[in-house]
Amino acid sequence: MNIIENFDLYAPRLVDKKEYLCSGHRACQGCGEVLGLRLMCKALGPDVVIANATGCMEIISSMYPSTAWEVPWIHVAFENAAAVGSGVEAGLKALRRKGKIADRDVKVVGVAGDGGTMDIGLQALSGAMERGHDMLFVCLDNEAYMNTGIQRSSGTPMGASTTTSPAGKVSSGQKTWKKNVPEIMVAHGVSYVATACPSYPLDFINKVKKAMKVKGPSYIHCFTVCPTGWRSPSEMTIKLGRLVVETGIFPLYEVEDGKYRMTVEVDQLRPIEDYMKPQGRYRHLTPDQIEIIQDRVYQEYNKLQDKINGLHAWSDLQYEWGLFD
Amino acid sequence: MIGEAAIRAGCRFYAGYPITPQNELTEYMARSMDNIEDGTFVQAESEIAAINMVIGASMAGARAMTSSSSPGISLKQEGISFLAAQELPAVIVNTMRGGPGLGNIAPSQGDYFQATRGGGHGDYRTIVLAPDSGQELADLTRTAFEYADKYRSPVLMLADGMMGQMMEPVVFPEPIDVSLLPHKPWTLGGAEGRPSRIILSLLLNPAKQEELNWKLERKYETITREIPKAEKYMTDDAHLAVIAYGTAARIAKGAVKRVREMGLKVGLFRPITLWPYPKNDLRDLSRHIRDFLVFEMNTGQMVEDVKLSLEGKSNVHFYGRPGGTISTPDEIAKMINTLYHRQNLEEE
Repeated sequence: MNIIENFDLYAPRLVDKKEYLCSGHRACQGCGEVLGLRLMCKALGPDVVIANATGCMEIISSMYPSTAWEVPWIHVAFENAAAVGSGVEAGLKALRRKGKIADRDVKVVGVAGDGGTMDIGLQALSGAMERGHDMLFVCLDNEAYMNTGIQRSSGTPMGASTTTSPAGKVSSGQKTWKKNVPEIMVAHGVSYVATACPSYPLDFINKVKKAMKVKGPSYIHCFTVCPTGWRSPSEMTIKLGRLVVETGIFPLYEVEDGKYRMTVEVDQLRPIEDYMKPQGRYRHLTPDQIEIIQDRVYQEYNKLQDKINGLHAWSDLQYEWGLFD
Repeated sequence: MIGEAAIRAGCRFYAGYPITPQNELTEYMARSMDNIEDGTFVQAESEIAAINMVIGASMAGARAMTSSSSPGISLKQEGISFLAAQELPAVIVNTMRGGPGLGNIAPSQGDYFQATRGGGHGDYRTIVLAPDSGQELADLTRTAFEYADKYRSPVLMLADGMMGQMMEPVVFPEPIDVSLLPHKPWTLGGAEGRPSRIILSLLLNPAKQEELNWKLERKYETITREIPKAEKYMTDDAHLAVIAYGTAARIAKGAVKRVREMGLKVGLFRPITLWPYPKNDLRDLSRHIRDFLVFEMNTGQMVEDVKLSLEGKSNVHFYGRPGGTISTPDEIAKMINTLYHRQNLEEE
């Protein structure tokens, strides 16, 4: 039995074999973001409408006159994937209610990068989540504006060098901590919030499937490696995706109805140097600076652990307080 | 080029947001502002935030600038309207690209209407400068800051993707001493020991609003008298003149040189201020030129201003390529040649 036959036997039970974002697109070698998008599509299946904000994923997949998309897809401006997604969802609902289209569940998905989610798109995302549209929003976070030439975003981590937070004699790269958008989404009362990384494909796919089942808004923050922007070797993409989780910089967890759960447990966190060393964007950092970042990683990780240990699901709380009697 | 020129012109605040093809300017400002003692660079979280930061910096009295490309400039329009209403100086650079919508990142001149007609809401005008070379990008950047302060008005630099990406030798003007700039008596900076100042643009009383509108209009009339500027190239003996600005003018100049070699008497009229439009200069030309060929990298937006200037006294023809396609000088030369003979201009 060769490998392909093995794949035929086992893989379809785990992953849809069909490609909805097909090959031939223009992504860089070792692009983690397009891998994330591809896995997301496999989890979603064909019955979706995807609203894709401007960014790498839109540019590489839809260069006129060709397209890599095999599912309904609309490209929108930088700031409004969540708003357009809201419109699609509301439109479909109205048509369904009036009996103009078949009454079946078509999932609406908004996709944007870190700039389109965490900076310019945050207002639209907040609105969509607050209104409670039945849609999934996936942020493909590669930690800077890569499409326009590696400018910093609020997703860029402390110390990383970009073209607008350049490391030099005076500056040591990004001066601010990464914005915690999953936590902002939890604060919106979103029923399902998760972090994911394509280096853990089944974990990611399961989360997308879970999010699809949620009636109402859901949010997945997908960490994606960018060899071009991070100046890391392209063959390191999967490994870096695992290292970011194993160092505790980007833990994989989900929040269901307010209840936190770690989906990928790490017994002993690795030192963050293991993750930072292969990346050119961190090369200028001194041991002192790395220590400051290491402390922050522990601090954030412990905060998350506290939430996992201490917070209950909203439904449990309501039961405990006798709200449903 | 714009970045260095802006800093030399006393720009001490720059807010930007990533968009192609103008990221080089943002990146230059990120590097350079760090080295200036009182310089500030902010990468904003959105285009709207960037223009509003400029409003804030301008209110505080700094020479402030932001830049973007077509779709980003659309987002900034609200802020530009506010700058006009509140009479705040600011420089905004638009590196135009193909459109509408997200379009592409190739050079285009599709934002002519947006730039010269106001763009945002309300009864206002924006000074629009159209450089055609690296040198002029540098020179007009200084002019832009001077006009902005002099007229307390937003000034738009209308470049395009070609100028945003090209490299040319440039002689920069000497840096100015920021401390010697005239005092601005209207800035907000804490009211210790004096009555507080207020800058606003909400005037619920229609009479007050009308008063402001007429005040602005009088200012625009002054600007229209004082600053229109154009370059005339080989127009003295010409029977036909090409009218073009920015990158299109540069291409047209090459075409004019080619047809001159063929013995055709053709010149070039290049508006440098697009608002106010150099109407009088163009009208002067129409005394001896009967035919004008407007060449633009759009579907013919400046034709309106040309016709308004000429008031039907000459024939206006148009040739254009929209969407980010770039004509070659040969292509324009061929157009000129055809038109020249069709209009029987060689007999004059």
